[in-house]
Amino acid sequence: MNMCTPLRALALAIACLAFAPAGRSATFQGTVTRPDGRPAFGAMVSVFNAARNQKQTVYTAADGSYAIVTPYSGSLDVRARLANYDDALVTVDAQPDATSRLDLVLRPFADPQGASDALSASAHNAVLPWKRADDRHVFVSQCNYCHQIGNSTTRAPRSHDAWLATINKMEGYLAMLTKAQSIRFASVFEQGFDGQPVKATHDYGPTPELARAKVEEWQIGDGFSFIHDMDVAEDGRFYGTDEGHDVLWVLDPRSGGIERHELPKSDLPRGGLFAGMHLAIGIFTGSHGPHSMAQTSDGRIWITNALSSTIMSFDPKTKRFETYPVPGDALYPHTIRVDRDDVLWFTIVASNQIGRLDPKTEQMTVMRLPSNGFFRWVSDMLFPTLLRISSWFPDRALLLDFSHHRFLGYTVLAFPYGIDVNPKDGSVWYAKLYANRIGRIDPRTLEVTEYETPLKGPRRPRFDADGIFWIPSFDEGALMRFDPATAKFDSWKVPGVAPGEYETPYALNVHRPTGEIWMAANNSDRILRFSPATQTFRSYPSPTRVTFLRDFSFTKNGRVCSSQSNLPAYAIEGAVPAYICVDPAGGERDRAAAAEAFAAAPGGSEPARIE
Amino acid sequence: MQVRYRSGSRPAAVKVIVGVLVVSALVMAALGWSASAYYVPALCLLLQAALLWSGRGFGLFRSILLVNLLSGLALVLVLWLGDGLGSRKLDLSGALLLVHLLCGGPLMAAWGGLLLPALRRGTSMFQWFNPRWA
Repeated sequence: MNMCTPLRALALAIACLAFAPAGRSATFQGTVTRPDGRPAFGAMVSVFNAARNQKQTVYTAADGSYAIVTPYSGSLDVRARLANYDDALVTVDAQPDATSRLDLVLRPFADPQGASDALSASAHNAVLPWKRADDRHVFVSQCNYCHQIGNSTTRAPRSHDAWLATINKMEGYLAMLTKAQSIRFASVFEQGFDGQPVKATHDYGPTPELARAKVEEWQIGDGFSFIHDMDVAEDGRFYGTDEGHDVLWVLDPRSGGIERHELPKSDLPRGGLFAGMHLAIGIFTGSHGPHSMAQTSDGRIWITNALSSTIMSFDPKTKRFETYPVPGDALYPHTIRVDRDDVLWFTIVASNQIGRLDPKTEQMTVMRLPSNGFFRWVSDMLFPTLLRISSWFPDRALLLDFSHHRFLGYTVLAFPYGIDVNPKDGSVWYAKLYANRIGRIDPRTLEVTEYETPLKGPRRPRFDADGIFWIPSFDEGALMRFDPATAKFDSWKVPGVAPGEYETPYALNVHRPTGEIWMAANNSDRILRFSPATQTFRSYPSPTRVTFLRDFSFTKNGRVCSSQSNLPAYAIEGAVPAYICVDPAGGERDRAAAAEAFAAAPGGSEPARIE
Repeated sequence: MQVRYRSGSRPAAVKVIVGVLVVSALVMAALGWSASAYYVPALCLLLQAALLWSGRGFGLFRSILLVNLLSGLALVLVLWLGDGLGSRKLDLSGALLLVHLLCGGPLMAAWGGLLLPALRRGTSMFQWFNPRWA
């Protein structure tokens, strides 16, 4: 193995020994230290493949040690990253099945701007000068669900008028602000995002458990892809819905091979039933808007098509799609799950409905949910009509000229959003994002019972194996636990990475064998793991800046996976979205494998170990 | 040649209703600042107030009221019972909503139910609009 000189970073690489054991490629081990020589605990060591479209990452232990076994060879970038320090980056020419020792030293930032640019969005949006607490709440609810506000794309300084135009564009994507809020938000953004460096010290709370983990990422699509959800199917492959381009992206994580399946064309124009809205040119080129997925026992993948109000099945064997229109004036089929009878249930957000599809009989029914108040009833009645009027004038977002949310706010919609099936009794539960409620549907009688949540913004909840409902509170940065047997809530605030910063837990999933909850922390480029037994959060910093994750799914070997889904994708570091998996024990396995490799190699040195 | 009431002899009911219509127009205009489509019913309400104040355009005044009420009623029925119309339901409800807003919107409908009976022949409102029938 030959070490090249550092190219882009202020890294000091002490490269060393090269051996060639059989059976693996590009194995690295070494240490990461801070500028003062102290070991860097929780630093991410990422190895990029030669094509720079995949990377694998491990975390350093308390002594700064790491080991990583990758399938890559060729000219590889190796990067060490830790909050509050500049990256150390080297390019290594790795021969196949080679092992090398590589010690990396982090450097302080050259200037305050560099330090500021390396901070997650949470530091940048924490300085926004909100004068009204309710404005800040609406900002979290309405400006943080498609992308980070405060990343390098969204914090660019703009004039008040330019911010107004930007906000208006966002309203065209259904960010639901009042006119007065739009004007006030433009002022806050103009003052807060002034281009001056932001100072913050971030603490990602490294733990010994973090050093056991490994992260893998595979880039999918391009800078204009909008991969909403990713699901791990029974065949072990990863399926992702490109909501903008009407494409199903399929990745085989073993080979890294990618398939691109285009959904069949519909008769609808670009944007589908939302053609009247102002959808981003280039990103939204399709008319179906594939959004969420679930798999039935026959292997078919079922997709909610948000923009065309259809359900679509994809057969992985035949690669064929079939379309099932959602009846009535349903708008925006959203999250879909399968119950134990192989029946599909899905939320329909913009028309406050729940759909049920039995794949065996292909019978679909749609039920209206309680409106929760007069103005939401008006919305339930009129919102589909307003959207139809808008569609007569494409790309004009005429809805904004008619809708009462422009003077009453986003809470005029109930917005049934996440959904899941209780494994204990088969009941179907949903979360109403804007009405701050969860509800239970009896699958036989379709009787609905609703409960108000103690915290706002219940987004994408899931059940654990014991029938406990875990709910992320997006608006208040918290995790809620609901026990259907007692109808009692508990909640935990999600820890930020610095004082004054907030978090936006978009979605979660429960790893049923362990009972642990994995959730998105999209404001600070993290994945969180909550242990109900100890009631503690553990933080897994993402190797990629601008990490914005939606649904989580598990592989059979315990990896937790999701999709990099920031809008636009070109704002993500690397400018392309990716599938991402955290293997909680992958780093530990790599240490053992690397130790074995080094021991077997002639003249090999002792590998570092977790303490 | 029509004989006009002097402003001093304008019926009290007319003054009250004109006031209500103007206030309604102002409410709609305030909403229009946030959602500009509401300027349309605001203008219609002002037009109705002007017609009533001047005592002119009885046919237009009454027609606007009637169309407003009928389109509003039809809109409710279509939204409530129109699932059988399939994809045409929303086209129809959309057209009805536009007509309804053009004719004054929900506030006009709220007052229209009271105003229409007051426009029958023999009432002071009718006489105000039609002095030669007095």
